[in-house]
Amino acid sequence: MFGNTVLAQVKRADNIKMAAITRFLRENDLSIDTTVDVFITVTQNDRLIACGGIAGNIIKCVAVDETVRGEGIALTLATELINLAYERQCPHLFIYTKTQNEALFKQCGFYTITSVPGMMVLMENSATRLQRYASYLTTLRQAGDKIGCIVMNANPFTHGHRYLIQKAAEQCDWLHVFLVKEDTSRFPYEDRLALVRTGTADIKRLTVHRGSEYIISRATFPCYFIKEQGVLNHCHTEIDLKIFRQFLAPALGITHRFVGTEPWCAVTAAYNEDMRHWLQTPSLPVPPIELVEIERLQYHGMAISASWVRKLLVKKDFSSIDKLVPEVTRDYLESMFVARPAHSVNGKLESTLTGEK
Amino acid sequence: MKITHAAVAGTLESGDVMIRIAPLENQEIDLQISSNVEKQFGDAIRATVLEILHRHHIQGVQLILDDKGALDCILRARLETLLVRASDVNSLPWEEKA
Repeated sequence: MFGNTVLAQVKRADNIKMAAITRFLRENDLSIDTTVDVFITVTQNDRLIACGGIAGNIIKCVAVDETVRGEGIALTLATELINLAYERQCPHLFIYTKTQNEALFKQCGFYTITSVPGMMVLMENSATRLQRYASYLTTLRQAGDKIGCIVMNANPFTHGHRYLIQKAAEQCDWLHVFLVKEDTSRFPYEDRLALVRTGTADIKRLTVHRGSEYIISRATFPCYFIKEQGVLNHCHTEIDLKIFRQFLAPALGITHRFVGTEPWCAVTAAYNEDMRHWLQTPSLPVPPIELVEIERLQYHGMAISASWVRKLLVKKDFSSIDKLVPEVTRDYLESMFVARPAHSVNGKLESTLTGEK
Repeated sequence: MKITHAAVAGTLESGDVMIRIAPLENQEIDLQISSNVEKQFGDAIRATVLEILHRHHIQGVQLILDDKGALDCILRARLETLLVRASDVNSLPWEEKA
């Protein structure tokens, strides 16, 4: 690396520089990821030669120009990205990257968690964090032959969620429910957790866990380097399910995973199919986990879903909501409206409720 | 000296070392060293790090070193900088040094 190399931070709002980054990424077969908050760019004589972005705790959109590879620019760039992430108080970093970059990021202090052979790897900047999390889970282990697991978002908690938990719990010696940690703009995580915990307090042999970065964290959705959406989704589910089966399920002794049938959403329906494959395939060196699909609870012939509730909420149709959610959720939703001044209900709150940002 | 939050110091450049620190809930010292001169100097690196931690009465931390062949003096400088960044003190108690 030589004298006139300049490193800079580029925020999303800087349209001119963002256009240059977008162009540069495209030249390197990457498309820009809309979740990236800030980019680090490396320029030489006003020419962009490398860049990398940070989206929360994930490093994304890293590219180094072909002409300057092998000069150590990647290490300089990685240093800046890691420093910036620490400044933003995100010390737990992940990288989703192409298999061919695995060795490069190993030199930057990243360790492979799991991979889709020949396609992509998920790495994190610790050799032990996942093991630590798994060994923490072992302290929450419960005795029994049939140990169930459900991963849910509960956005918000409906009769449908409660029904699934109840049916699964009836079939198991113990049931572990993980609440997806992803905190979008809809309902705050702590509120969702409280609703599920209160709404299932009477169900025995049940633990409601906080989620973690390792279970369906959409944040790590690698939507930037593989163009075909279909391939991309499959890779994502493969990584998520491999982590679950290889690290988390053994820690808790999970033997069965329960899901609701998915009549509406194509992504979730495909996810259930992938789940069956990756939980049960004998190609992994750990015991298989049986997937159990439970028919969704219906109301007037319609499967109850959280998105249905969110739509009703925009219309403030509380009498319909009342039929779909437990009392605790209804009280919570009503209090959301009481708590806010009337003028914000039509503006800001509306976007909060629909989840559109 | 008490480590209160995660911090990082140093770089991944050749001849330097990047050190990351985070407080742990228990009192162990979890030291992970990854170095391109680990075979020759792994023990020396470990000894230096532990000596400095001991001198500042630091326990209950995870330390991750990504070393690119830093000299001992650089390692010490990076680590002491890191300790200041990760604790609530403004400077190291240089003068109390034995």
